[in-house]
Amino acid sequence: MKEELKEVVLSLQNELKECTKEADILNVKSKYLGKKSTLNNYLSNLKDMTVEEKKVNGPLLNQMKKEIEKLVETRLEEINNQETNNFDETLPVDYEMGSLHPITIITNEITDIFRKMGFTIVSGPEMESDYYNFEALNVPKDHPARDMQDTYYLDNGMVLRTQTSDNQIHAMENYGAPLRICAPGRVFRNEDLDANHENTFFQIEGMVIDKEISIENLLYVMQKIISEVMKQEVHLRLRPGYFPFTEPSYEIDMECLICGGSGCPTCKNSGYIEMLGSGMIHPNVLKSGGVDPEQYTGFAFGIGLTRLAMMKYKINDIRVLNGGDLRYLKQFEIN
Amino acid sequence: MLISCNKLKCYIKNPEDIDWLNIWSTFTIRTAEVEGVKEVGNTFDKVVVAEILECEEHPDSDHLHVLKVDCGEDEPIQVVCGAPNVRVGLKTAYVKVGGNIDGMEIKARPLRGILSNGMCCSGRELAISESHEGILELPESWINGTDIKKLLPIEDIIVEIDNKSLTNRPDLWGHYGIAREICAITNHELLPLQIEEITNDKENLDIVIKNPELCLRYCGLKIENIKNNQTPLDMQVFLYYVGLRSISLLVDLTNYLMLEIGQPMHAFDGRVVKNIEVGLANEKDTYTTLDGVERALTNEMLMIKNENKYFGIAGVMGGLDSEILPDTTSTFLESATFHSGSVRRTAQKLGLRTEASARYEKSLDPNMTDFAIKRFVYLLRQENKDLEITSNLTDVYPKKSQEETIILDKKTLKIYMGKELEDNTVKTILESLGFKVSINVDSYDVIVPSFRATKDVKIKQDIIEEIARIYGLENFTPKPLKLDLVPTEHENIYLQEYNVKKLLATRFNASEVHSYLWYDTSLLKDLGIEKNNVKLLGKESNHILRDDMSLSLLSIVKENFKNKTSFKIFEIGTIIQDNQNHRTLSIILAEDETKLESSYREAKMIVKYLFKALKNIDVDLTNNINEKKYYNENLGNVIKVGTQKFGELNVLSKICTNKLSKKKCVVTIDIDFDRFVELLPIDKLSYEVSKYPNVELDYTIIAGKEDKYKDLNEILEQFKSPIIKNNRLVSVYEDDYEKKFTIRYTVGSDEKTLEGKELNDFKEKFIEFIRQNGLEIIE
Repeated sequence: MKEELKEVVLSLQNELKECTKEADILNVKSKYLGKKSTLNNYLSNLKDMTVEEKKVNGPLLNQMKKEIEKLVETRLEEINNQETNNFDETLPVDYEMGSLHPITIITNEITDIFRKMGFTIVSGPEMESDYYNFEALNVPKDHPARDMQDTYYLDNGMVLRTQTSDNQIHAMENYGAPLRICAPGRVFRNEDLDANHENTFFQIEGMVIDKEISIENLLYVMQKIISEVMKQEVHLRLRPGYFPFTEPSYEIDMECLICGGSGCPTCKNSGYIEMLGSGMIHPNVLKSGGVDPEQYTGFAFGIGLTRLAMMKYKINDIRVLNGGDLRYLKQFEIN
Repeated sequence: MLISCNKLKCYIKNPEDIDWLNIWSTFTIRTAEVEGVKEVGNTFDKVVVAEILECEEHPDSDHLHVLKVDCGEDEPIQVVCGAPNVRVGLKTAYVKVGGNIDGMEIKARPLRGILSNGMCCSGRELAISESHEGILELPESWINGTDIKKLLPIEDIIVEIDNKSLTNRPDLWGHYGIAREICAITNHELLPLQIEEITNDKENLDIVIKNPELCLRYCGLKIENIKNNQTPLDMQVFLYYVGLRSISLLVDLTNYLMLEIGQPMHAFDGRVVKNIEVGLANEKDTYTTLDGVERALTNEMLMIKNENKYFGIAGVMGGLDSEILPDTTSTFLESATFHSGSVRRTAQKLGLRTEASARYEKSLDPNMTDFAIKRFVYLLRQENKDLEITSNLTDVYPKKSQEETIILDKKTLKIYMGKELEDNTVKTILESLGFKVSINVDSYDVIVPSFRATKDVKIKQDIIEEIARIYGLENFTPKPLKLDLVPTEHENIYLQEYNVKKLLATRFNASEVHSYLWYDTSLLKDLGIEKNNVKLLGKESNHILRDDMSLSLLSIVKENFKNKTSFKIFEIGTIIQDNQNHRTLSIILAEDETKLESSYREAKMIVKYLFKALKNIDVDLTNNINEKKYYNENLGNVIKVGTQKFGELNVLSKICTNKLSKKKCVVTIDIDFDRFVELLPIDKLSYEVSKYPNVELDYTIIAGKEDKYKDLNEILEQFKSPIIKNNRLVSVYEDDYEKKFTIRYTVGSDEKTLEGKELNDFKEKFIEFIRQNGLEIIE
């Protein structure tokens, strides 16, 4: 019997070698361990044997059963672990990426900077009342900024906001002083379209109100923010300007990064690039927002996001931004 | 505005101490933006005064003359000249041989056979006027051979100042005001302007102001016996350099005064003026201005009237019939102040912005009017020793402007400046700008000069501005804010918008676009859609504000169909509904028409995903009853959370889609983003997972071709068993006769591992249930 069993093992080994699939192995397994197998035959004969025979053959058969099981198991594992790569791994893969509008990208960059400096991000309505767009911002009834040619007036008595400064009043009303806000948003001017002019563009407004805020604080915040935007230390200069909502008002120029201030085509030989308008909040504006100008001072500023995006991405024609041509906009993929 | 440095030098003591080329970068950061600085008068040399001694006709030409000129040398010099005004005794400008004009060297050369040694010049050749009709005619008194640059202010520096940056500075609309700034910046002394005092011992002119709120002051003076109406050459050069044409002495002087002190004036023909009335025009009258254009008037336009007839549009332009004629020897001089807003509106309505109206718009100082007349008389007398003043300087000034005192407390000044200033520094700065200052312990009393008091200096912050800019804005050092360590309160609409955008772009490969707040009306017309919403005033097209964002995005869809078949775009923007702003998220899936089903399903998935990913909320998509004709009436969903509507999912109607592009489909999603922002996310809480394994069982159910999943699902929901964890649709297979839905049930127990018998029982019950409902099932 011992000899016979040895042969069984040999033929099992041969058959297993032939197997390439899991199912084949399972067939072989049932052939050698199933009810009709040689081994099972011996096992069922065991009960007719003498006690001595049982003592010898019992363990032998058991050991044999384990050996067969192990062989099957091993082969099964071998087959399962076999690498299968029977496909054309050279086929090209196709993927498409979505994109964010360049204005969104730059707005996110800049609001990130503001957030780091502890500013709250707020937003205001595009269709705005005359009060928030003009009156509360110290733009008197006769001011040229109210001219029909600049402002989109609506047949319901409202206007499309001409600047994001309406947020100054909303923020003061909502939060009171002290205050640090920035407000990105879309603004509208009644202009004819060309490569440099849009009737719909983006600004970000900023405002700080606290006790004893000075022109030097304004300069500091602007310096930090523009440096972060440009990703290098920049030098700014203040220049007298005029806005109804600030007093004093300043235009802020950045020393040209290309020529370092000595003059080049980028800065039109002036050495400086106009960056933003700013100033100390006009006492009338503080009053409109319910803040006491004898107790608090503050500064406000507006940065042209559209202009910034055009500078950053070297966009020559402003019209592509609202044009929606995906061949163009798809460049600004997410990564 | 163009500024001549030669002119500025006339008003400043010791002007030679100033670097006139480089002062302007400082001016830019102290006062107003300088757009350009240009040296002029350097295009020629060796041009001298020469007198024509002999003048013969050229034997070989019908217009050339052969001249002998005295240019200060020992011998007369022969020059050939083609100008018509040559004559013996005329003194003119002559370029010597070896001299240069506009980069060209002048050589001795024959003209039609006769040698010409040098050249006589016209004003245009020297770039000091437009005139090219003849050679320059110089005063007899000038000495032959003198370099012309020594006699005329030809070498000059012309500075262009950005008009916009002067918006709030009425005092800077003349050279004298700019000179005052230069003095303040460089610490120089400003010289007073010379005037002629006028004794009022004659009769007043008949001047009436009907609208004193619009005409703040009107001064008039009659001058006669003006025999010389020839503008001196130096003034001509000045006018030319700053962009004006010389016409006649009287007209040029009014312009000169405007350029010098910023006061517009008008010289009427003295023979014509009888009485002056300043009042409003009648609606729909017409009037022909000096430029010959007939203009329609409104009853808001202020007019100058003479003998009850229109004589000029106040502050904008005179009329044809008030024009000063060459043969006049008398003038009626007007120097008035009109209301800034009124002039601006009139000029704007007429589309006629003049040098005068541009200045009046800025709110001019009413105290300039009489001064301007006195200065005018002084200058006119330089050329007309015998002129006669034949009226009083008649001054109608209904409401005299009052001197204003502003109290500036030192504490506020310190806060704004971020530092303390010496009293003396403050006083010196303000006085250099014409303010009067008295120093108190805690404050300064500042009297504002009338030329700054009309508009731009009203409150103490205006005074601080003056101090800060002359102190030097470059002397401020950036100083960090003191931050209180309190967390800032955040509106999170901005962040939510960004998160949604990023998700759509990264997860669904959609591209963000920006579109206008108004509909493209020609596209609406094309699509046969009528919209009635808030409108932009004064516009005929693209004037209806959008109330359906997806619809407004169709212009962009249309454009992109020209290049692509399949794309996804989105925008978060404003729409106007019921007169209110609403933030809206629109997503549009554009595809080939054969992909309608997959696009529709993807759109639904996007909506579900957005709410689940960002709010942890399972949103309901229920069937839409479409009211908007431009959407497919059978497809579409209402997006709901509970009972609240959050938006819609629609398919653009075939008719509209075909207008955009053939064989396409357009699926749109609009979500009320204000509501989305307010929607509170459901907290994520962990739940225990069973310790025992689950089993997944797939069943394929055969339904009729027309059957919908929704119906099947209703049946499935009736099948209950305690071991069901969940079920979901895995796939749908459809052939010509039937639909096969493969449903996967996940079953399991939290108490034990399910036994084979329990699984078998479940299978048998389920199969029986399905068959009872009249459907076939494949295990």
